[in-house]
Amino acid sequence: MILQMNNIVKTYGNVLANNNVSLYLNQGEILSIVGENGAGKSTIMKILYGLEKPDEGEIIVKGKKVSFHSSAAAMKLGIGMVQQHFMLFDSLTVAENIVYNREKSKFGFYDKLENEKAVQQLCQQYGLFVDPKAIVSDLPVGMQQRVEILKTLYQNSDIIIFDEPSAVLTPLEVEELLATIKKLAQSGKSIILITHKLNEVMSVADRIVVMRAGEVVATLNKNDTNQQELSMLMIGRRIVELELPEVNVTDEVLKVSNLTVGNIYGKKSLDNVSLSVCKGEIVGIAGVSGNGQSDLIKCISGLNQNYQGTILINGKDVSNKSVNAIRKAGETHIPEDRYYWGSAKGATLSDNYLMGQHESDEYTKYGFLKKSKIDEKTREIIKQYQVKSSGENQTISELSGGNAQKLITAREIERDNDFTIACEPTRGIDIGAMEFVQRRLIEKRNKGCGILLVSSELTEILNLSDRIYVMFEGRITAQYKRGEIDAYNIGLMMLGGKSNEN
Amino acid sequence: MNFQWSYISAIIASTLRTCSPILLCALAAAICAKSNVFNIAMEGCLTISAFFAILANFYSGGNVLLAVISGVVSSMVVCFILSLLIVKLKASPVVSGMAVNTLSNGLTIYLMFVFFKKKGLIVDPIMKGLSKITPFFADYFPELAQCFYGLTIVDYLSWIIAIAMYILLYKTVVGFHIRSIGINENAAKSLGINVDRYKITVMTLSGILCGLAGVLLSMGSVTLFIQGISSGKGYIAMTANNLGASNPLAVSLASLFFGVCQAVGSFLQQTSLKGQITGSIPYVMTIIASIASSIWLQKRKERKVKEALEGQKKND
Repeated sequence: MILQMNNIVKTYGNVLANNNVSLYLNQGEILSIVGENGAGKSTIMKILYGLEKPDEGEIIVKGKKVSFHSSAAAMKLGIGMVQQHFMLFDSLTVAENIVYNREKSKFGFYDKLENEKAVQQLCQQYGLFVDPKAIVSDLPVGMQQRVEILKTLYQNSDIIIFDEPSAVLTPLEVEELLATIKKLAQSGKSIILITHKLNEVMSVADRIVVMRAGEVVATLNKNDTNQQELSMLMIGRRIVELELPEVNVTDEVLKVSNLTVGNIYGKKSLDNVSLSVCKGEIVGIAGVSGNGQSDLIKCISGLNQNYQGTILINGKDVSNKSVNAIRKAGETHIPEDRYYWGSAKGATLSDNYLMGQHESDEYTKYGFLKKSKIDEKTREIIKQYQVKSSGENQTISELSGGNAQKLITAREIERDNDFTIACEPTRGIDIGAMEFVQRRLIEKRNKGCGILLVSSELTEILNLSDRIYVMFEGRITAQYKRGEIDAYNIGLMMLGGKSNEN
Repeated sequence: MNFQWSYISAIIASTLRTCSPILLCALAAAICAKSNVFNIAMEGCLTISAFFAILANFYSGGNVLLAVISGVVSSMVVCFILSLLIVKLKASPVVSGMAVNTLSNGLTIYLMFVFFKKKGLIVDPIMKGLSKITPFFADYFPELAQCFYGLTIVDYLSWIIAIAMYILLYKTVVGFHIRSIGINENAAKSLGINVDRYKITVMTLSGILCGLAGVLLSMGSVTLFIQGISSGKGYIAMTANNLGASNPLAVSLASLFFGVCQAVGSFLQQTSLKGQITGSIPYVMTIIASIASSIWLQKRKERKVKEALEGQKKND
């Protein structure tokens, strides 16, 4: 047994995040921790990685009782973590990122050749290849993650924690990652995999710990369980399949023609993109992140007004118009980054809910806000969407990411309008709430709203979309109707494969 | 021809002399920027170190070394305290930096009165300036040597420091860590770098640089302290740091540009132009240079985008 965590208790204020959590890890084993958001799995990992201090309980690493409270100290004990949000120096090279703080040097001078050689050797040793001289920001996300993995290996970590590692990857990249994880376990590393994707768990894990509401509800051997049982344990009930009822598709609510955007790196981030969304349909955009989806959404929503091409919303030309003009044309937008674009971190939930509707007659009169009306509506939303909070006057920065997401998603979905852009509407929210949000999106579609859905969750795209566009390197490379393509083939298309049809 | 050369060499010498304090301050700003600290207290540090250099100079009866140390240490202490405020207590770098700048002015006026019972100007024959260095080639190329007339050891040192800082930042492990903090502070922290300690050290180091610059002001070409001796050089240095994108070599060039402006400005004072106009040249040029560089960067960005679009069209 390389690691033991016994009876860990951690509270934040009066919220019990971890209640008597115990788990252990054998050498060379892959342990998967599954659970919904807020189940406490990231808390327990933060404790293990030295980012949080437990209130009670003990941690035993390699037979020794330890206590540490920095990630650097955790690293010294051989605990490494591949974080969901990479901790990389974008403008530095791969080698510089990997050897960081353990550089080979001559008289204090950074020895470029030796360091690159060391990284090359490390790559060879584990069969994880990446060019040591490449600049990190030039690499695709999957490769950046590989740099993160190599980093932990260079630090001689024996225990490697993967926090939602597949969230940012394409299906093919995920397969590669899972193979890598297996390979690492075979070479003697002990792995903890945090995820809520049960198919990944079933394909690599040896043992599975299920957490719910801060407690361990089950510890299972993979061979003794299945996906249905796991999801039952995770959310405490069964999930109902989503259905898309037939809806009369009427006139186009969004029409984008020949949209082209350049960027400073000498590349076109959007290249002659044309697409349309009709009332009463959900149109999905599948693509590896960074292939132009964000740029497309920025143009349509007015965050970027510097492009060539035309955009019509409800038949009205909104090309190069401001966000306000576009919203007035009937658009709402669940932004990709819930903190950067989606919310004001220091403002309360009701203020955040109001944003974007602050000019509507429903919430204002003679330029004054109808505070009680706004609060009442926010309370309603908090209840409906199960936003875990202390009330409408809490600031949004105090909520967990998933709960903040729910509020922002609610704000944009609940408006009565014709066209909604939904970017990652369920990113980071738990299965129960995910189902609710998806159901809401479908209801909105049924009422005749056109929805443009961008998601890195391929299953979400496949389950919700009436039509799917595939984006690759700033172009639309293929278009499918619902049911015409499966996850594997669309994954190939997302990586630039050629369509067999057409 | 000879007449003209003497003018040109005088301007060059004057450029180099006025450049070095700006250069030292700009380097201070640059190394702070690289480690993600926003230091705007150069102006205040200049005044303080210029004053304390003169103070020590006077009381030691003209001991130059003691004066230099006094000036440098005073500025270093100020920057160290400032760094504690900014890094440890999370004070706003703009507000606390401005506080140092404003305080330095009032403080030196007050201390001037306390120690010298004088207002506005301290000058005394007992005080000695930094010794001027005659270039070794003066005997062989007297005309060329004219260009280096009146430079002190600190002036030469400023250029050595610029090169040394470049090597430190881009070739050594320590410099690698300093730059990395500027690129992604959290990542540096997560890998066990004591970010706070680096920032405090870097800022204290920047205090030394500003201190040297202050000593140059009060003991370089003239030996005196006058109210408002820094005359905006600290701010000009901030612009130079911006223009040079915090790269020590580029910052040196930018500082040289401002040195030229100042030298030309003071040279034109001897002509029939009004003093107000000539005196404002360096500051006007600072504004123009800032605007020009912003426009240039913007244009370059746009051009790149355009080229990219056209380049792809050709490929299609």
